[in-house]
Amino acid sequence: MPAYILELIVVGLGLILLLLESFLPRLGAKGLAAIGSVGLLVVLFLLPSVTGAPSESTGIIWKFYSADSLALFYKGLALITTILVLMMSVVYVPVMQRYLGTGGGVGEYLILPVFTCAGLMWMASANDLTSIFVSLEVVTIGFYIMVAYMRRNVGSLEAGVKYLILGAVSTGFLVYGIAFLFGVTGQTNLDVISTVLGLLEGQDKIILFSFALLLVAFGFKVAAVPFQMWVPDVYQGAPTPTAAFLSVGSKAAGFIVLSRIVDAFLGDHGVQTGDGSYQDQIQRVLLVVAGATILFGSLAAIPQTNFKRLMAYSSISHAGFILLALACAYPVRMDMASGEVVAFYLAAYLPMTMAAFFVLCIVRSSRGEEEISVLDGLGKRSPFLAFVLLVSVMGLAGIPLTVGFLGKLYVFQAALDQGHFVLLAIATLGAAAGFYYYFKVVRSMYWNAPSDQDAIAVGTGSRVLLALLAAAIIFLGLNQGIILGFLR
Amino acid sequence: MSPALLLLLPLLSVVVIFFGTKWSGTLSALVSVASVAGSLGVTLALFSTDSSMVAMNWIALGDVLQVDIGLRWDRLARGMMFVVTLVGTLVHVFSLAYMREDEAKARYFGCLSLFMFSMTGIVLADNLVMMFIFWELVGVSSYLLIGHWFTKASAADAAKKAFITNRIGDFGFLIGILMLFGLTGTVSFTGLENWLAGGHAGASAGLLTAAALCLFCGAVGKSAQAPLHVWLPDAMEGPTPVSALIHAATMVAAGVFMLVRVGFLIEASETAGLVIAWVGGFTALLAALMATQQDDIKKILAYSTLSQLGYMVMVVGLGSGEAAMFHLYTHAFFKALLFLGAGAIIYACHHEQNIWKMGGLKTRMPITFAAFGIGTLALIAFPFTSGFFSKEAILDIALHENKLLFLIAAGVAFLTAFYMSRLLVVTFLGAPRSEHAGHAKEVSVIMFVPLLILAFLSVVAGYKPVAELLQAQLPDVHWNWFVFFVSLATMLAGAGLGFLRYLDKRSEPKVIPVLANKFYFDEAYGWAVRNLQDGLAWVVRGLDALFIDGLAVGGITRLTEGVGCLFRRVITGNLQAYSYLFGVGVFVLIYFTVFLR
Repeated sequence: MPAYILELIVVGLGLILLLLESFLPRLGAKGLAAIGSVGLLVVLFLLPSVTGAPSESTGIIWKFYSADSLALFYKGLALITTILVLMMSVVYVPVMQRYLGTGGGVGEYLILPVFTCAGLMWMASANDLTSIFVSLEVVTIGFYIMVAYMRRNVGSLEAGVKYLILGAVSTGFLVYGIAFLFGVTGQTNLDVISTVLGLLEGQDKIILFSFALLLVAFGFKVAAVPFQMWVPDVYQGAPTPTAAFLSVGSKAAGFIVLSRIVDAFLGDHGVQTGDGSYQDQIQRVLLVVAGATILFGSLAAIPQTNFKRLMAYSSISHAGFILLALACAYPVRMDMASGEVVAFYLAAYLPMTMAAFFVLCIVRSSRGEEEISVLDGLGKRSPFLAFVLLVSVMGLAGIPLTVGFLGKLYVFQAALDQGHFVLLAIATLGAAAGFYYYFKVVRSMYWNAPSDQDAIAVGTGSRVLLALLAAAIIFLGLNQGIILGFLR
Repeated sequence: MSPALLLLLPLLSVVVIFFGTKWSGTLSALVSVASVAGSLGVTLALFSTDSSMVAMNWIALGDVLQVDIGLRWDRLARGMMFVVTLVGTLVHVFSLAYMREDEAKARYFGCLSLFMFSMTGIVLADNLVMMFIFWELVGVSSYLLIGHWFTKASAADAAKKAFITNRIGDFGFLIGILMLFGLTGTVSFTGLENWLAGGHAGASAGLLTAAALCLFCGAVGKSAQAPLHVWLPDAMEGPTPVSALIHAATMVAAGVFMLVRVGFLIEASETAGLVIAWVGGFTALLAALMATQQDDIKKILAYSTLSQLGYMVMVVGLGSGEAAMFHLYTHAFFKALLFLGAGAIIYACHHEQNIWKMGGLKTRMPITFAAFGIGTLALIAFPFTSGFFSKEAILDIALHENKLLFLIAAGVAFLTAFYMSRLLVVTFLGAPRSEHAGHAKEVSVIMFVPLLILAFLSVVAGYKPVAELLQAQLPDVHWNWFVFFVSLATMLAGAGLGFLRYLDKRSEPKVIPVLANKFYFDEAYGWAVRNLQDGLAWVVRGLDALFIDGLAVGGITRLTEGVGCLFRRVITGNLQAYSYLFGVGVFVLIYFTVFLR
């Protein structure tokens, strides 16, 4: 079975869900989420059995679409993320209904992630500028709606408008960059572009210009400095499951595309040598952006008091770490490619972030706020939720024996490998700051007295899912072979 | 069956207790006891096997670093595991009675299981990083158990003191691991051994010595050697069964175990061995002197533990890991016996711990007296008890390796006999000196059965066939009449003096302030912390407020806020400001990418 069938199945699943929502309203949010998740789960299990491009490329589709192991890995990430987002949405529905008024249904909110998931999966495979653009827009448009879904909530609307306008601007730069790159090379397929770029001479400025434009667009997607300012506002205003989806799904897809583009530009150039070639310059720009992103995210996270804003800045800082891995394109002494380090980091980031947002969703649905102080005394009110959140922030901070530690370790090792000592110092600073601001969450849960004594009800399904996520954070952290096994 | 089961059983118990049966103390206690008994069973069942396995590749970074979660099941591990699980089982059972009325029974047993898990990890670890992780976990569980009655300020303080003092030693341990890794590129014991066998050591002998001494720092903390011994006497604030298990038989012995595990490093460096031996000998003497003037029954035993650990460390330094492990093995039984006996006495006397308020317990608690007496005989190395054999071995090795240390060891043997006979006489003989002691009754079956089992082992464990059977390490020493007579003479002299001096006394006949105040170690440390550390902290805090908070963190916050304000004034609404910043960002990025080379 060719890989692209999976995207078709996912789109089909979305259409079926739309029909079900219209004709079987009794199904409700839970039913839709259940059918959607089961459908996506089936696709997830089909994932290992798909085949890549046939030896002699017959179909035109393979000019736009690749199914290498990296693509399949990111498809898996997209599917798992979407399933978790659907589950989270069910918990969040009562909160949303407060802001929807009469006649406002939540059905679409549970169906849009499925379509977005198809876009994310396509992005994972896109290896042509046109398919990159189209799949990216599929994802982004889905997100515009989801961010602004709570239409009677000013915060959500504001976030939606901000994301829409800034997103449109960044899309503009993407098209501009694509146009320039096409102008230089006359090609849209990234593999061909890579070959052509290798043959060009004396065109450095224009090549770098097109790269800068593309970096603007993807810098916006992955929340890199200086295109990160939308992140805190949008996370804070958007419904929590959407914030989680943005933080994991959108970022992962942005990074796979960015790493394909960077690969195409760098070709087989090798480690940064300082010979003044445009490849060197690209690595340098990536390093600078990575350093700035780590510093900004980590330091700005320190004074935050709102949990979602904290997660937003932490997500910026993590994006910086991933960019650093991307910039260290040619590990020498490690047996991991830079793309694998990036993929590992994102796979590690998934369960940790999802668990944190999931806990927040549950706490939020019983309390109407999202300040860190709502977690006060969570250790007493719900030891289970507190423990899961503890494991999750331990992972995000990068404490050994969690998967987050391994992710950071590889990034540090890659940077050490290439001798980027300034970046290492910055990354160390960022990681150290992480200990501080994540610890605020722990302190609030275990040290502060609860303002509210009631226990928090956690459904069985959520409980199982959270336990699985916490177990994954620890178990994947004990055995690096599992994620690497999927990756290779 | 695999040794991994030994790690999983207590871990499972921790998870079950903290996530399932926390509401029921009795159920949690049963889960915990079942897990430790299961561990003992698995250990016995695996006695005849020998294996090493890699359970998981934790970190593999090409040829840079390789850390596995691997288990090493050799004779050293088997012997240690037997001691840990057997004493563990008996202490768990004893705790069933001792902690019967405690409010936080579930937490207590959960923490005991956590301790068993961590200790098992140390014993089975096949590399330094894994050992270090479990080493820290042991520190955590010890902290939790010392502070079990945390509402009592002294217990909470003692827990903190133990943890922080251990951290000082662990800092050295960590540096040692990093040095060894830098030197050899591996952290696994096998890898290190191969590296040494490969003859690379010559060029970097100095570094190797430093690394070995750094590792020894960890042992100094955990095995409470001078000058980091101060935490162990205070740790007696914890429940008495905990003192028996953790602060007498197993955890404090972990330092010695670690030294024996890396014994090949110590052998490779003469200087390191000498330093270790002297630290051990010094601790043994210091602690024995301090023990002679204590009034708290548990503190006397704690100082005696220090002094015996000093023996073990000394003999490791002198190059005989076997003798150290042999003494560790016999000591675990008789010291656990003495502590559990003390626990029984304290329980019977309504939590009275001052020996001068006891007395006359011989007739009221005959079984406890008998067991305690046997433990005392083993500790003072009465001929043909288990302690006799292991101490003989230590004295013999000291005699051959270092005459001065032999003199110290003999002096310690004398002091040991002296303070133990003092303890025995004051506690059990004479007339009761308080109401509680007068009404004391023999403890229940569930408490004295562990005592009797340990008493039996304290007698027989030293004989060669038994030790062979129980997988203990046996030192290669021969009978030496000189050592025997020295040992006998010091023992008889010490015990005789103790009996004569303390029989029928109602209070300490002569207080020696410097010993009663433990050589003023705590006072000196307190002074240092107050004057040096706090001063340094004040300076650092000032720098932090000025540079880190003021400029880095605060500066960035203020900068963002300031820029935000600026834009808000010029342009109304955030979105425009964001778009504007976006545009600026684009220019900067393009300039940087294309034009700034």
